Amino acid sequence: MIAAVFREIVAALLAIWTDKGARSTMLGATLFFSVFFPQPYLNEVVRDMPLAIVDQDGSTLSRELIRRIDAADAVAVARYAPDMSSARLLFLKREVHGIVIVPPQFERDLLAGRAAPIAAFSDGGYFLLNSVMSSALSNAARSLGAEVQVGRLTASGVDMAQALAVVEPLRVTTVPLFNPTGGYASFVLPAVFVLILQQTLLMGIGNLKAGRRSAGGLSTFADALVYVGLYSLWAGVVLVLLPWVYRLPRIGDVAVMYAVVVPFLAAVTAMGIAVARLIPTKEGVIFFLVVLGMPLFFLSGVSWPAEAMPWLLHALAFAIPSTTAVPALVRVNQMGADLQSVEATILTQLALCLAYTTLAVTVDWVKRKPSA
Amino acid sequence: MARRAHPAAGFRRVLLAELRQIGARPGLMFMLAPFPLLLFVLLAAVFQLGLPRNLPIAIIDQDRSTLSRQMVRIVDATPEVAVAFEEATLSEGRQRLLSGEAYAVVLIPPRTERDVLAGRRPEVVLFYNNQYMTPGSLVARSVGGALGTVAAGISVEARVARGADVESATQAVNPVPIRQSALFNPSLEYVQFLLAAVMPTVLQIFIGASAALSFSRDRQGIAGLGKSLRLGGTLVRTAVGKLAPYTLAYLLVLWGADALLFGPMGARFGGSLPFHLAYGVVFVLASQMLGAAAALVARDTVSALAAVGVITGPAFGFTGLTFPRLSMNGFSDVWADLLPVTHYLELRTDNILRGAPLDISVPAFLWLAALALVYGGVTLLLLWRHGRPSQVTATEAGQ
Repeated sequence: MIAAVFREIVAALLAIWTDKGARSTMLGATLFFSVFFPQPYLNEVVRDMPLAIVDQDGSTLSRELIRRIDAADAVAVARYAPDMSSARLLFLKREVHGIVIVPPQFERDLLAGRAAPIAAFSDGGYFLLNSVMSSALSNAARSLGAEVQVGRLTASGVDMAQALAVVEPLRVTTVPLFNPTGGYASFVLPAVFVLILQQTLLMGIGNLKAGRRSAGGLSTFADALVYVGLYSLWAGVVLVLLPWVYRLPRIGDVAVMYAVVVPFLAAVTAMGIAVARLIPTKEGVIFFLVVLGMPLFFLSGVSWPAEAMPWLLHALAFAIPSTTAVPALVRVNQMGADLQSVEATILTQLALCLAYTTLAVTVDWVKRKPSA
Repeated sequence: MARRAHPAAGFRRVLLAELRQIGARPGLMFMLAPFPLLLFVLLAAVFQLGLPRNLPIAIIDQDRSTLSRQMVRIVDATPEVAVAFEEATLSEGRQRLLSGEAYAVVLIPPRTERDVLAGRRPEVVLFYNNQYMTPGSLVARSVGGALGTVAAGISVEARVARGADVESATQAVNPVPIRQSALFNPSLEYVQFLLAAVMPTVLQIFIGASAALSFSRDRQGIAGLGKSLRLGGTLVRTAVGKLAPYTLAYLLVLWGADALLFGPMGARFGGSLPFHLAYGVVFVLASQMLGAAAALVARDTVSALAAVGVITGPAFGFTGLTFPRLSMNGFSDVWADLLPVTHYLELRTDNILRGAPLDISVPAFLWLAALALVYGGVTLLLLWRHGRPSQVTATEAGQ
């Protein structure tokens, strides 16, 4: 019995190696995508996003405000425009990605204790640029405003501590956790890597199994063992080694990670075998999976909160292993979640594995029946 | 002679042969229109609610004062967040973050109210999950704003107590207000932003893959490409005849999705419609040529599809819609320019969102057209080489 299993395992390994399609997806594509996909995000944060300034005041304080805006890492004052229409043109040509207008009498109003508003036009088509600009501006405006206010109060004879207590009676400190710099690669890659594992594993199984008859329970079981084993190694490369290479934050316990990874891979393998028995052609399976990559990423709830999806869609998405495994593995690896926090996901994956195994067996049974 | 008299005949013969092939393959028919439209509906459903609402957060109120309860109320009243958990300790709050149940934890330490009244400037801390950046930063912004409102209220009271009138006290609290408006997409709608960008990116995969399948099917067939070339007469007529059904189908899908987006889903269309249609056509052609060229370079159908998948699958990251192109590394910037969808999305943004004058869009349009021509040229070149192996051997034999 053990010898038979061993023989089947060797056969399964050989099958991966000799099938060109399986070799290139399960060995080549996994590595290729994990190196290729991160490229756009590797600089992590936006630096020196160019801004255009229309300084209609030309005063000491307006220049001080502009200096403080320029001092932010994320933005840089790139152009001074004489008026809004020329600034707008720079914007349309994509030479700048935001416009700040300091109106006339900015300094006079500010020193007189009146509100001295500034106008900012950001890029509504690009969310990241939009939020980068708004935080750089509000920091500059708040610090300058508070300084002027404290200055006014102390000039009228209030002592420093009291002046501060009037201007800022309650300090609100905001602490970003787990991805402190707000790096985009740190945000998107840990999730994408899990998805790459799932998609290339499914494609590999599609290559090997699509349109073929089941070679019996024992053989299929040995195949599954090999796929899960091989991809457990890949999980180490993609979820532990690559984050280290790319310097992404990773604080998780590897043992807890594998407690999620192994049931996840088992569920994906069972799903792959079931799909391969349902879709008869290799081309069909591969195409289906390539196209589905992006929607699956959004369904995982990492970039778009699951709370904001219709519940029915979210419920249906539970049938795909990545939907729950992606957030769970991100929580373990990047946030340091313990076993107890991901229990539900592990159970979900085991249930999916069981369900897809049943489906695969049923499909095979139905297909055999007419010929028998 | 007859062929020259009816230049359209070759095109028609290839077109009919291709249509017969499509007709014989239900899977291919499904991929032409129903599947991409289904994906569009799926994606539309994901982003259906526009901006997220009532994202769950946890509050640790260790003060239990009038002030702290007021903070909890104001935070809960913001539409984006909902106070879903009240915990006693920070470690319980942390557990809510780790299990993914809450996106942020607000800590109001003991004696906050007393310290405020005594002018000791106590600190309220907002911890938010920045690993889930989209919801995390949204929550941080709204909770930070709500707490800021509370602090501003106290500041106004303090100033009034010092003898200022309410009007000037209110102005003094926020001395440099920012009148921020987004120049375009002022409501910052996610539907406009993501759906409009994701759909063409997904379609680029479909378009490239269908062209790849069409050509590699011929190469795999017994008759080979030679048969299609004989049917078409010339290289151009063969290529056009083969690809025309797909061009038409995907243009309809592209425009159909737009019709849904700007019709029932209520997105705003602020640009020139003829121009929108024009760059749509060039986008579909460029993506087809990309797929066809990949199919003729690759050895078999599976590698052709894999090549298209590798090029078009990860395209979204390179378009710069999420992480901007100005911050990408050199390789990504060059790669992005080689993808039709990058320029298509730029043209879309310029035209629909920004209503930019046409001369602004000339460079992007030329890029897109150049891609179509270059990939088309490669396709024709390869078609010419693969299509006449017999001739090559004949000349070689003659030498």
